[in-house]
Amino acid sequence: MTDLTLGRATADRDRLLRLLQEYGVYLGVVVLLLLNTVFTPHFLSAENFRTQAVQVAPVLIVALGMALAIGSEGVDLSVGSVMALSTSLLSLYLGYGAWIAVLAAVAGGIVVGVANGALIAFVGVQPIVATLALMVAGRGLALVLLPQLKDVRNPGMAELGSGDVLGVPYLVLIAVALALLVGFVVRRTTFGRQLLALGDSRPAARLAGLPVRRVLIVVYVCSGVLAAIAGVLATARLTASDPTSLGTLMELSAITAVVVGGTPLSGGRVRIGGTVAGAVLIQLLTTTLIKHDLPPSWTQIAQAVVIVLAVYAARERGKR
Amino acid sequence: MKPTVILRRTSVRTLLATGLVTSLTLVSGCAKSEDDSDKAKNSTSQGDSGQVVASPSAGSGPTCTIDAYGGKKIDLKSATVGFSQSEKEANPFRIAETASIKAEAQKRGVKLLTSNAQSQFSKQISDVQDLIAKGADLLVIAPLNSDGWEPVLRSASAKHIPIVTIDRKINATACKDYVSFIGSDFVEQGKRAADRMIEATGGKGEIAILLGAAGNNVTTERTKGFEDRVKEKAPGLKIVFKQTGEFAREKGQSVTENLIQSKPGITGIYAENDEMGLGAVNALKGAGKKPGTVKIVTIDGTRNAVQGIVDGWINGVIESNPRFGPLAFQTLDSFTQGDKVAQDIVIKDSAYTTDNAKSDIGKAY
Repeated sequence: MTDLTLGRATADRDRLLRLLQEYGVYLGVVVLLLLNTVFTPHFLSAENFRTQAVQVAPVLIVALGMALAIGSEGVDLSVGSVMALSTSLLSLYLGYGAWIAVLAAVAGGIVVGVANGALIAFVGVQPIVATLALMVAGRGLALVLLPQLKDVRNPGMAELGSGDVLGVPYLVLIAVALALLVGFVVRRTTFGRQLLALGDSRPAARLAGLPVRRVLIVVYVCSGVLAAIAGVLATARLTASDPTSLGTLMELSAITAVVVGGTPLSGGRVRIGGTVAGAVLIQLLTTTLIKHDLPPSWTQIAQAVVIVLAVYAARERGKR
Repeated sequence: MKPTVILRRTSVRTLLATGLVTSLTLVSGCAKSEDDSDKAKNSTSQGDSGQVVASPSAGSGPTCTIDAYGGKKIDLKSATVGFSQSEKEANPFRIAETASIKAEAQKRGVKLLTSNAQSQFSKQISDVQDLIAKGADLLVIAPLNSDGWEPVLRSASAKHIPIVTIDRKINATACKDYVSFIGSDFVEQGKRAADRMIEATGGKGEIAILLGAAGNNVTTERTKGFEDRVKEKAPGLKIVFKQTGEFAREKGQSVTENLIQSKPGITGIYAENDEMGLGAVNALKGAGKKPGTVKIVTIDGTRNAVQGIVDGWINGVIESNPRFGPLAFQTLDSFTQGDKVAQDIVIKDSAYTTDNAKSDIGKAY
């Protein structure tokens, strides 16, 4: 009798724990929103939500690419450098007009993505090492192309950075569209299935006859392109190209968003909704601490706590 | 069969290499940035001499002579000077600093060896040791850190090489381990920024500070000077917000966006460097504020910030003068001739306000 109730209690606890792991990140976002509504003055204003959405957009877009890389049991450390490279190229080609410059920036992202993918798929270098190499090389190249901050005065870029449609900034619209697109690709396309299959087990995917190399290259090209787009948007918002500081530590923010969002580092699973929520959670956390004027060191500690909690949840999931 | 395989492989490699090289040249060759006329404008309008000493070079304060330091007199003209730069020449301050040293060396006809530590302290140590090994008779060092210089100082003092440090101090004994330090007084800069802020706001209201990178003496000293002066002179001015913008424009912008939403009544922002101040301007523009509704005071004196005063967004820029060349070489010159030089040479920084911004923008770097 006692055994039975105990068993049911543990079962209930397990289910609760699983739910928490599954939806904890959404819960975190809701809790932070509620706390801010009560304690932060002027929090409930359209202007504030607009700012938060605009600030989170670049991180979110980078995190989408990172989620794909992590889903394929890899990681892409070069995203921050790709942003820097993208802003350099953008500034360098802006004389031809905004569209050409954006294409050049995205082309930079594609090149880095192909290099990453080729190193991983053909040479067989581990993703963390291959993308680390490109992380160093990309930043270096960006600084060779544009050694210091340069203002961007193109009206098209300024419009992209601060304009809006019916009150929703372009940056946010683009981020949402990309999130939906990546979500669709992961869930509904063959490529998405192949990506998850090879993330689960690369040997099995190869034996099943999946085009492992092609999929890997496409994954890193996607990640590179998304990072390049994030670089363009960040440049438009700042109205300046700053390859010295743009995108520094971005890879860590992106990995944090993905991991907090419940995508396991062991691959085979991608949670786009969770990634979006993870990025929003980190943004809200930082904002809350800034708005209450707490020392900057607290922000780092708070982020560390969130990461540890998320990794703890991931560990439980792995054990299951 | 084998030879062809090898041949094919090498040809693939050559193809890859040539492809890489051509694409690189293409990337930089076809580039067309927004305004290439900028360069010409910069070089013509940069009409400024070096620095002026604020504290007298002899008389008050401890001094140093070549007899006290050890070593022998040399003629600066025939000497080799080694210059070690700390950070990448990626921001206006460092660019102007290196350019000033190089220009002065050229003007005086001195042979100059330069190195750049790329913000890595271990590299700077080996850089300076390299300079000594290459035969530098005199050293000008812009230190990245204040501590950890013992190995360099040992090898320099063994050869009696005079060292002048610029813009940051090293923790060692003046006139024994190094000759003098030439730099700005960051506390004083903070105080003068506070004076500008008090003047602009009328000494009343709530203000915010955009701090520099944490754990940096520039940040702590500029904060201390500002806070002390505000407390002492304008008790009505309340500092209600202190967050780091890490000396970067983007961070300054996002922090200010949050600031003006949570505290819409803010009357002034003190940014500890120009870049963060320009980020704050971006944020205010984005929020639809008019120029001048929030008073901004920054430190450094870059061209963009002084232009910000002309446009009405910034109310004052306290200069932190990077042109160490003339003063550094003058110090070395008098020292090697056997004259007395001060151990601490504090330079006079000017300031830009609404009165002189337009006429003095040529002096900004």
